[in-house]
Amino acid sequence: MSESVNIRELNDLIASKASFVSMIRTGMDRRIIGQKHLVDSLLIALLCNGHVLLEGVPGLAKTLAIKTLASLVDAKYSRIQFTPDLLPADVIGTLIYSVKNESFEVKKGPIFANFVLADEINRAPAKVQSALLEAMQERQVTIGEETFKLDNPFLVMATQNPIEQEGTYPLPEAQTDRFLLKVVIGYPNKEEEKSIIRQNITSGASPITPVIHPSEIVEVQKIVEKIYIDEKIENYIVDIVFATREPSKYGLSDLSSIISYGASPRASISLALASRAYAFLQGRGYVIPEDVRAVCHDVMRHRIGLSYEAEANNISADEVITAILDKVAVP
Amino acid sequence: MGKMCKTAKILTLVILLFHGVARGESAGLSITARLDSVNVLMGNLNTLHLEIVENEGDKGRLSIFRDLDRARGYATVCGDSVELDANYKIDTTRLGSGRMQLNYSIPVQSFDSGTYTLPRFVYYVGQDSALSNSLTFNVYPVNVTADDQIAPLAQVSEPDGKRFYDWVPDWILDFWWLWLIIFLAICIFLYGMKNYQKKGIPFIAPKETPKPWVIALDSLQRLKNRKLWEQGMEKEYFTDLTDILRVYLVDRFGINAMEMTTRQIMDKIYESDLRDKRDYVKQILNVADFVKFAKVRPLPADSIAAYENAVKFVEETVPVEKVEEKTATEKEGGENI
Repeated sequence: MSESVNIRELNDLIASKASFVSMIRTGMDRRIIGQKHLVDSLLIALLCNGHVLLEGVPGLAKTLAIKTLASLVDAKYSRIQFTPDLLPADVIGTLIYSVKNESFEVKKGPIFANFVLADEINRAPAKVQSALLEAMQERQVTIGEETFKLDNPFLVMATQNPIEQEGTYPLPEAQTDRFLLKVVIGYPNKEEEKSIIRQNITSGASPITPVIHPSEIVEVQKIVEKIYIDEKIENYIVDIVFATREPSKYGLSDLSSIISYGASPRASISLALASRAYAFLQGRGYVIPEDVRAVCHDVMRHRIGLSYEAEANNISADEVITAILDKVAVP
Repeated sequence: MGKMCKTAKILTLVILLFHGVARGESAGLSITARLDSVNVLMGNLNTLHLEIVENEGDKGRLSIFRDLDRARGYATVCGDSVELDANYKIDTTRLGSGRMQLNYSIPVQSFDSGTYTLPRFVYYVGQDSALSNSLTFNVYPVNVTADDQIAPLAQVSEPDGKRFYDWVPDWILDFWWLWLIIFLAICIFLYGMKNYQKKGIPFIAPKETPKPWVIALDSLQRLKNRKLWEQGMEKEYFTDLTDILRVYLVDRFGINAMEMTTRQIMDKIYESDLRDKRDYVKQILNVADFVKFAKVRPLPADSIAAYENAVKFVEETVPVEKVEEKTATEKEGGENI
């Protein structure tokens, strides 16, 4: 089979640079039992320079996952526990008067890190959420009159607890749209649970050795940008997104009353980006429909608005996405 | 005596002469006009009677109605103030002695109040003519005061002497020919269907749907004839090839292949009875994924192999029952020979 030079070169390049992926996976496996999907999602977000919104009950190793990833990447990690009395300055930083120098000095907030865990983001008021999300989007913050660029790579993993909704400030749709992926994690199975017990009752976990440097991650991000997406794949992505907006045109009239609003163009962009990152993780220099399907749920679930009818019938966004994927023709 | 005789002769002559004059006068033409009433209300109908006496066989004419008036249904006199209806009646009465009387009854109506003198009417018979007497009548206006009650509108009354087809809507009567054609067509259809049923032949033969493998093999042959990969259009070639294969999987095995990725199709085939045929499909779909999504130009051998694998997959998955039936038929044929 004779293939065009670009794809072959890209495949070779990916093969040479993607070795860190298996090392990261191995490193994560040493600390986190199960949750392979969470690890893959974090890697996808990292490779696309995106952010992850994580939903799951407490105790599912969310914090441990991002902390381990930060250690494996040899990156700076910070954690912000969102509380109702949190202020934007607590996140981005503030100006502090220095008596010694008789001037205001910048005190950078915890957002100045490569990996930021925004724990229980829905517990802080809207202005704190906005400050974080603006920083996520712009990748820079302004303190006083000075603007600071955030570190690169910059990955925010925000968590939400789905069971305790009292006294929370749910993220508005416009804010959730800024997250590349929304990952829902569930409980581990019995075997995984047993392994978790064994791992945690023994003292002295083995130290984590970094397998890649943040600057190399930035290089890999540039390789991911080169991954080829054929027009057929673009059409497939557009069809999936349009099916959320005009379900009846795709033979999904049943969904018309279930979807109150469809996915935005940002969803199409995110789907293409995440598909490319997934293809990289598979060691491919081009995207195939399977890559799109693999990331579709995580990319789309927080971008589709469900109607009251859907909520009343206990229909989730995931079910809607599955119905769409089962109906849209694969190229 | 002689004087008496002379007087008698003169008297006889006078009588005969008078009789002759009388006879001559009665043999002439006369017309008499009269009205039912000389005082009528505005808009009310009055009747003008014209009595014409003429010889039997005479063909006379009344000059009241010109052709134009007959066409519009009435004639006007007295400066258009009085209307004479053209739909008048004529009665004929034999008077004896070759004489005949014509009685015209002409409806007269006026919508202007006043006193009107009708003109004298002329009746012509050949060169002869007779002139009627003149008539005068008064038309009074209807006195209306503000206190008068407005009478309610009269209800629509059914026409007298309704016939059966009066009950039939016009659209049926107007297109009677169309209903006749439809009726005849139905009759022919029913007759034909009855005859065909007697013979055990279905009147409308059910359209035979081509079997999925027939469609697939035809489509593959057409794809081959188009010589796409030979012309450098490998992407179109593999797109069409995979579409044919997917349609076949849908129609033949009910696998929803059109909405499935390569891996999903392979998983489905692996789970089914087609496990031993999976290599054919795998080669086609894997090469197709490279060509369609990775800008890869396949070698000619790959394109040929993909086509051959598609044909083999279809041919080897034709239902066994059909093959057995075919074999049985061939055997029978062989024995007969």
